[in-house]
Amino acid sequence: MADMLSTGVSGLLAFQRSLDTTSHNISNVNTPGYSRQRTDLTARSPEPSGAGYVGNGVQVSSVTRLYDDFISAQTRNSSSLFQQLDTFSTQSSRINNLLGDSSTGLSATLQKFASAFQGVANNPTSIPARQTLLSQAQSIASQLQSYDSSLKSLDTQVNSQIDAETATISTLAKNIADLNGKITVASAQYGQPPNDLLDQRDQLIDQLATHVSVDVVKQNDGSVNVSIGTGQPLVVGQSYSKLTAGADQYDPTRRTVLLQTSTGAADITNNIQGGTLGGVLTFRSQVLDTTRSALGQISVALADSVNTQHRSGIDLNGALGQNFFAVGGVQVQASTQNGSTGTVSATRSNVSALTGADYVLTATSTGWALQRADTGAAVSMTGTGTSTDPFVADGLSFVVGGTPTAGDRFLVRPSINAVSGMQVLVTDPTAVAAALPIKTSAAAANSGAATISSGDVLNPTNPQLQSSVDIQFLTATTYSVNGSGSFAYTSGANIDVNGWRVQVSGTPAAGDKFTVSSNVNGKGDNRNALKLADTLNKPVLNGGKTSVNDAVGQYISTIGVQTNQAQASRDAQQIVYNDSVSTQQSVSGVNLDEEAANLVRYQQAYQAAAQVIKIAQTIFQTLIDATRS
Amino acid sequence: MRISTPGLYQNALTAMLDQQSRLAKTQNQVATGKRVQTPADDPVAAVHIMQLQRAQAESDQYQKNSDSVTTRLNLEEQGLADTTTLLQRVRELTVEAGNVGTMSDSDRQSLVAELQARSQELMDIANRKDANGEYLFSGFASLTQPFSRSGTVSYAGDQGVRQIQVSPSQKIADSDTGDQVFQNITQGNGTFTTSAGIGNTGTASIDVGTVVNAAAWVPDNYTITFVSASDYQITDSASNVVASGTAAPGSAISFNGVQVTLTGTPAVGDSFAVSKSGKEDIFSTLDKLIATLQRPASTAAGKAQMSTAIGGALQQLDQADTHIENVRAGVGARLSLLDDASSTRDATNVDLQSTLSNLQDLDYASALTKLQQQLVGLQAAQQSYSKISQLSLFSYL
Repeated sequence: MADMLSTGVSGLLAFQRSLDTTSHNISNVNTPGYSRQRTDLTARSPEPSGAGYVGNGVQVSSVTRLYDDFISAQTRNSSSLFQQLDTFSTQSSRINNLLGDSSTGLSATLQKFASAFQGVANNPTSIPARQTLLSQAQSIASQLQSYDSSLKSLDTQVNSQIDAETATISTLAKNIADLNGKITVASAQYGQPPNDLLDQRDQLIDQLATHVSVDVVKQNDGSVNVSIGTGQPLVVGQSYSKLTAGADQYDPTRRTVLLQTSTGAADITNNIQGGTLGGVLTFRSQVLDTTRSALGQISVALADSVNTQHRSGIDLNGALGQNFFAVGGVQVQASTQNGSTGTVSATRSNVSALTGADYVLTATSTGWALQRADTGAAVSMTGTGTSTDPFVADGLSFVVGGTPTAGDRFLVRPSINAVSGMQVLVTDPTAVAAALPIKTSAAAANSGAATISSGDVLNPTNPQLQSSVDIQFLTATTYSVNGSGSFAYTSGANIDVNGWRVQVSGTPAAGDKFTVSSNVNGKGDNRNALKLADTLNKPVLNGGKTSVNDAVGQYISTIGVQTNQAQASRDAQQIVYNDSVSTQQSVSGVNLDEEAANLVRYQQAYQAAAQVIKIAQTIFQTLIDATRS
Repeated sequence: MRISTPGLYQNALTAMLDQQSRLAKTQNQVATGKRVQTPADDPVAAVHIMQLQRAQAESDQYQKNSDSVTTRLNLEEQGLADTTTLLQRVRELTVEAGNVGTMSDSDRQSLVAELQARSQELMDIANRKDANGEYLFSGFASLTQPFSRSGTVSYAGDQGVRQIQVSPSQKIADSDTGDQVFQNITQGNGTFTTSAGIGNTGTASIDVGTVVNAAAWVPDNYTITFVSASDYQITDSASNVVASGTAAPGSAISFNGVQVTLTGTPAVGDSFAVSKSGKEDIFSTLDKLIATLQRPASTAAGKAQMSTAIGGALQQLDQADTHIENVRAGVGARLSLLDDASSTRDATNVDLQSTLSNLQDLDYASALTKLQQQLVGLQAAQQSYSKISQLSLFSYL
C-alpha cells in the first residue's frame, strides 16, 4: 500500500512534469530558435520480492530537446549560401536597374552623339548644329559621371555594410562565447543538458550563419568552437576573436575584413564566404569593380577614338582639331607596407591593348615584376622603366623612380579614374574639326581621264601636312611629286606624302597635274565629321576588335547575364533553404495540435495517478476501519 | 512529415508572398507593355533591343540627312534648269546673229546688250547660296564666293564635293563644284576647234569640221595656210608640213583623220587654225561671243570671219548645253537614289519595328492570362490560409 501510494505519487509528479514541458512548448510556440522539449520518463527500479520484481512507479530521467545537429548544420549552410546569393542578387539588380534602361541608357546617349556629328556633317557651317554636338558630348560625360558616382556611392555603401557586418559578427561571437561558458557550467552542475541555453546558442549561431558561413565543432564540455571563412577560428570555448573592418593596403578608402587574434590582425577578406558579408564582398569584387572598370574602358576608348579622329581634322577657323574629350589617368597606389621611397607612374600608351584588368607592380631584388591583380598571372614587360624607355605591357607604360626595396608593391588601376576625370575639352562650337586639313584638285588643263581621291590624313602632326604638293605625270605611267622623283603609277594605289594619303585612279595623260593643298577655306567640308560620326563603330578595344558601341553592348549584356544568373541562383537556393528549414522545423518545431493531444494525454494520466492515490487511501482506510472495530 | 505550427503559417505566408511578387511583376509588365524591363529580364534580348534601337535612331538620322541632301540637290537642279533656259536664249540670239548677211552692226549691238545681261545672270546663278548662306557651287570653300570677274571670270572655290551619309553603306554628293559645272566644258567637237586667222582678207569661212577617223588624229594645233587661192599647206605647231593640196571652194580638206570644209574663196596668205580641244568655261564662251558680235563686219572678209566665229560659238553653246544637261542628269540620278534609299529605309524601319516589338513588347493575351492565373492562385492561397488557420485541436477541448 505504501508502495502503491508512492507509485501513484511518482506518476503524479511525472505527469505534472510532462504537463509542465507541454505548457513550456505551447508558450514557446513562436519563440525563434526554440526546439520543442520532451520529458523522458523511465520506470523506476523494481523492488525484488519472492514473487519477482514488483514495479515501483515512474521517474523523469531527463528533459531533452528534439534537435538534430546534422539537419541544423545543413540549414545553416543553406542559409549562409542563400543570404550570400540574396545580397549579391539584390545589389546586382541595383546596377542592372541603374544602367540597363535601353531608352535612356548609355547606348542611346552615344547614338545621339553620333547623330549630332551627322548633323554637323549635313551642315558644317551651322553653329547651332555644332552647338548641339557639344551639348550631346556634354551629356555623355555627365551620364558616365552620374553612373560612376552612383557606383562610387554603392562602393561607399559596401564599406559601411562591411563595418556593420563585422561589428555584428563580433557581437554574435562574444555572445556565443558567453553562452559557451554558461552551458559548460550548467551541464556540469546537473549533468543534464540546459536545453533553453542550447537553443539560445544555436539561435545565435544561426544568426551568425546569415552573416558569414560557419563551421561548428562540438566539444565534450558542451561548448562549441566556431570557425568562419576557410577555417579561421572565431569562437574557441569561452574566448572569441573580434572581426573588424580595416583599410586596404593600396586604397585606404576600401574596407577589408580583419580577424583580430592574439598574434595580431589578419586580413581574411579573400577567405570570407557565405552570408551577407560574403555576398557584399562578392558583389564588390565580381560586379562593382568590373562594372566601374568596364565603364572606364568605354570612356577611354570613346575619348581615344574621338580624339584621334578629331585631331586629324581642322575646325571652322582653319586650325587643326584638338583633343575632344579628356579622361582621368591611370591610378597608381603604393602599398602602405612599402618601406621606401620608390615611385611608379603609369600612362596608357596603347588603348587597343588594354585589358580592363588591374595590375600589381612589385619591386624584386633584380628589377620589377608585373602581375594581374585578379588572377595573379605574371605579365611580361618590355623596356627598362625609365621615362625615355618605360616598361610597356598590355597597353600601359610604367616609369619607376626613387629607391625601391624588394617587395614594394604598387597597385595599378588603368580605368578606375577614367570616368571621374572625363570632360569635354571643346567648348567653342567653331573649334569642332569637321573638315580635313587637305583638299585635292585636278588641274583644269588635264587631258587624261584620271581622277584624284579626296584624301585622308595619316599623321596630322606632320609639319608639312598642309603644304601644297603637285603630283605631276611625266608620262602616262610615271609621276613626280613636287617636281622631283619619278614614281611608277598604279591606278588606285596609295600615294603617301607629308602625312596624307591620296589615290589617283584612271588613265592619266603626260603633263596631267593633281594638287594636294591646304583646305583652310574649306568651311563647308564635312569629311572629318562623317568619319567622326562613324568612330563609335570603329574597332578600338581588345586588340582592335571591339568598337565603343560593341563594348557598351557587351557591358550591358554582362550586367544582364550576371544579374539574371544571380536571381536564378538565389531563387534556386531559396527553395533549398526553405526545404531545410521545413525539415529542421519538422524535427524541432512545436505543433500545437500535438501539444493539445499531449495535454489531454498527460491530464488523463495525471487523473489516473490521482485515482491510484485515492484508491490507496481507500484501501488503507478499509484496513484501518477493519482493525478499529 | 511532421509540421510545426509556426512552420505551417510561415510556409503559407512565403507562398503568398511569392505569388504576390510574381503578380507584381506581371502587373508591371502589363502596365508598361514591355516584356524586357531591365537587361536581367532577358540579357540576350536586351542587347539585341539596344542594337535595334540604335539602328532605328541611325535610320532617323539618315532620314534627316536625306532631307538635307534633297533640299540642296533641288536648289542645284533649279540653278541648272535656269542655266539651261539661259543657254537656250543665248543660242537663239546667236542664231539670230548668224544671219551675217542681213544684220547690221547696230542690229548686233542690241543683241550684245542682251547677251551681256545674260552673262551677268549666269554669274548670279553660279553664285547662288542655299538657305544656310552657303554657296551652292564653291565646293568645300562654301563660304567663299565661287565666281568673280576681273576681266575674265575666275573660280575661287575648290574641287571638294560634300558627301552625305544616307544609309549605312551609301553616301551621296549634295552638290557639284562650280568648276565642274560651269568651267569643264569640252571645246569644239571634243577633238578640235576651228577658227579663221584674224588678218584673213579672203571671203572664205571654215566650218566646225568633223572627225572622220579618230585613230588617225594626232592632237596638236595645226594651221592651214593658203599659198594660192586654192593651194594650201597644213603645218603643225612645230611648223612641219603635215599635208598639202588643192581645195576647190566648197570642197573638204582632210588630214590626220579630220575633215574641214571651206566656204568662199580664200586669199593668198589666209590661214585657218585647227586646234586640239581643251576645256572652256561658259563665261568665256559668252565673252568671246560678245567680243565677236561687237566687231564690225561690213566687209566680205569681216563677214566671213564673223560667220566662222558664230559657227564655233554655236557649237560651243551646244557643248555647254549638253554638259549642263549631263550634270542635271547626275543630280536627277542622285535624287532618284535618295528615293530608293528612302524606300529601302521605310521597309527596313518596318522590319526593325516589328523585330523590336517581338523582342521587347508584351504579348498581352498571354500576359493577361498569366495575370488572371496568378490572381486566382493568390486568392486560393489566401482563402486556404484563412481556413487552415482556424483549425486547432484547442477549439475542441
